[in-house]
Amino acid sequence: MSSFWTSCLSQFEQELPPQQFNTWIRPLRLEGEEDIANGLRLLAPNGFILKWVKERYLTRIEELGTAYFSVPVSISLLLGEKKTVAPAPSAAAAPLQTTAAPMIGGLRSAAETLPTPMPAPVRSTSSYEKTRLIAGFTFDNLIVGKANDLARAAATQVSLNPGGAAYNPLFIYGGAGLGKTHLIHAIGNQILVQNPDKVVRYVHAEDYYSDVVRAYQQKSFDVFKRYYRSLDVLLLDDVQFFNGKNRTQEEFFYVFNALIEAKKQIVISCDTYPKDISGLEDRLITRFDWGLTVQIEPPETEMRVAILKKKAEAEGVALDDEVAFFIAKHLRSNVRELEGALKKVLAYSSFHGRQIALDLAKEALKDLIGAVNRQITVENIQKTVADYFKIKVSDLFSKKRTRVIARPRQVAMWLAKDLTSQSYPSIGDAFGGRDHTTVLHAVRTIDSLRAKDNELNHDLHVLLQVLKG
Amino acid sequence: MTLPPMRQLTLDLLPEAAPSLDNFVAGGNGEALAGLAAWLTPDNRESALYLWGEAGAGKTHLLRASGAHYHDGAADPDLAGGAESSEPAGLHAVDNVEALGEAGQIALFNLFNRLRAAGGKLLTAGTQPPQQLKLREDLRTRLGYGLIYRLLPLTDAEKIAALAAQAAARGLRLPPDALDYLLARAPRDMRSLSALLAALDRYSLEQKRPITLPLLREVLQGPHGAGPAAPGSLPPENRHA
Repeated sequence: MSSFWTSCLSQFEQELPPQQFNTWIRPLRLEGEEDIANGLRLLAPNGFILKWVKERYLTRIEELGTAYFSVPVSISLLLGEKKTVAPAPSAAAAPLQTTAAPMIGGLRSAAETLPTPMPAPVRSTSSYEKTRLIAGFTFDNLIVGKANDLARAAATQVSLNPGGAAYNPLFIYGGAGLGKTHLIHAIGNQILVQNPDKVVRYVHAEDYYSDVVRAYQQKSFDVFKRYYRSLDVLLLDDVQFFNGKNRTQEEFFYVFNALIEAKKQIVISCDTYPKDISGLEDRLITRFDWGLTVQIEPPETEMRVAILKKKAEAEGVALDDEVAFFIAKHLRSNVRELEGALKKVLAYSSFHGRQIALDLAKEALKDLIGAVNRQITVENIQKTVADYFKIKVSDLFSKKRTRVIARPRQVAMWLAKDLTSQSYPSIGDAFGGRDHTTVLHAVRTIDSLRAKDNELNHDLHVLLQVLKG
Repeated sequence: MTLPPMRQLTLDLLPEAAPSLDNFVAGGNGEALAGLAAWLTPDNRESALYLWGEAGAGKTHLLRASGAHYHDGAADPDLAGGAESSEPAGLHAVDNVEALGEAGQIALFNLFNRLRAAGGKLLTAGTQPPQQLKLREDLRTRLGYGLIYRLLPLTDAEKIAALAAQAAARGLRLPPDALDYLLARAPRDMRSLSALLAALDRYSLEQKRPITLPLLREVLQGPHGAGPAAPGSLPPENRHA
């Protein structure tokens, strides 16, 4: 790299927030020699960057050039060819370069800074073509909680002993974005780790349907049948897409019978319980029930927090409790959008060059979740407090007076007093018909405790932030 | 006094150029633009990016300018236009996702899965954030999985600044309140406004008259009997200020 451009980069690094530096300046490449008589040529990898740099940074680059060479330098911006960029200090080479060039050490490339939760999407082209398995979906990076514990256990069993009668077929069902696809890829990947000779194939129901249509058009059903019957493990995703596709169902019926008979493993995922799938033949539905049927439920708050922390950790970011709780609180129904929200927070943080904290998370997610106007109710408080202290909501109503229950109950009452306009008697009612003096006592207890108990104070702080949104 | 015979003008109100990055006015959308630019670099492996914002915020402009294979959910609710058959590892854009029908939603769902598996990229746009889209849950959550940016429409001040810059680039001298007048009476999206400015430029040359408010009014109303030459480029109610 030319010495002028190196010094230019380090100057910009100091002047700009990291994300802006990584997005706009880092991908630029100086073409050719430093021939200032003919002007310098900077290559941008795409039109967006070219335009942005031209509008905002070109003047500054020229200033730096003038200062560096002590004569005015003309600098032109051009679109760079992808190929010529590759060996040069492009973003792809950046991680290596950061270790080689101490001046810009410690920086992360744009590609690194922006969340890329999907690890290498394919293990190798030929293996992917054969199995269609995504290598990044493994048991190791599957986060387990109550919601998917059973499904994971069953999946692990299947991967240890594919074709075993008790788990054949394994039918996994659950709502959108809960990790069904992750789980069935993990089964396939694990089987191949243990036995690379097994013929494993992942197929989405829509692609299976396309295969049937193609076989029909090309009159190649023999090839189709031979192929699917030759598999050791068939992983069929989203079987609900077979809805109303009779020929596809018929073909699958035969494949299913042949594979089960030959003690080959079948794993099927679906968005509903087998009996609730619409537009599916009864004889298929009955067969889906032959093995083991397991459900993946929506993750509870604790698990959502764990997922967020683990995903953030994979991006090299430590997520505070209050930030994790805040995100988890607002994206309850599925893991997929939870990840989307985390990406948003990470991208926002690096773009603005600010640390991740609660106020930043709120700003970042404002456009995603702000539209939902949240009203704080006693119920809402009870649920949040129970989640936070890992107890059941019903414990709050119960007569139990052990400290692990009683303290959260008092906290919840204190929050109800603080955040709603409910009276003491109605708060008492909402906590299993307690007397208003109990509520009064709780509020006084918490008020006096929080002055001396730091841990309690922290809990209250997090809970208040979460509830207020 | 007799007037010289009136010359019938054909006003070409189509935009001057196809949407490109050079004619996108960023306004308050710097973060979205930065996010999109970083995402479009080959090294970024995130598979999906969703832009949302109200009509006129610049979604279509950016989708078209991205260089993606462009599909429009509003014009083609079934996405029958080859969304599935095109190259699997390429860059695809699907606009107006909220207008997709059942078949189109499945097509987009498949496109998402295939692009993700093959290392391609999917750029989508709609009028609502993913959480509020009324689409299939499996598709809706996928749109909420990638990067998400909101596009804000330009403020009037930003539009005026952008138009003033365009006018200066054309060497037009506008009366001080011309742009306010235009913004109060013409369609307010940048594409129409830029097109009107171009029309104003040509009309003023044809008429050999400087740009004044009366001239502006004539352009907005269209020449007698002819009307603007490009039907559809302006909604009819806006032709008569």
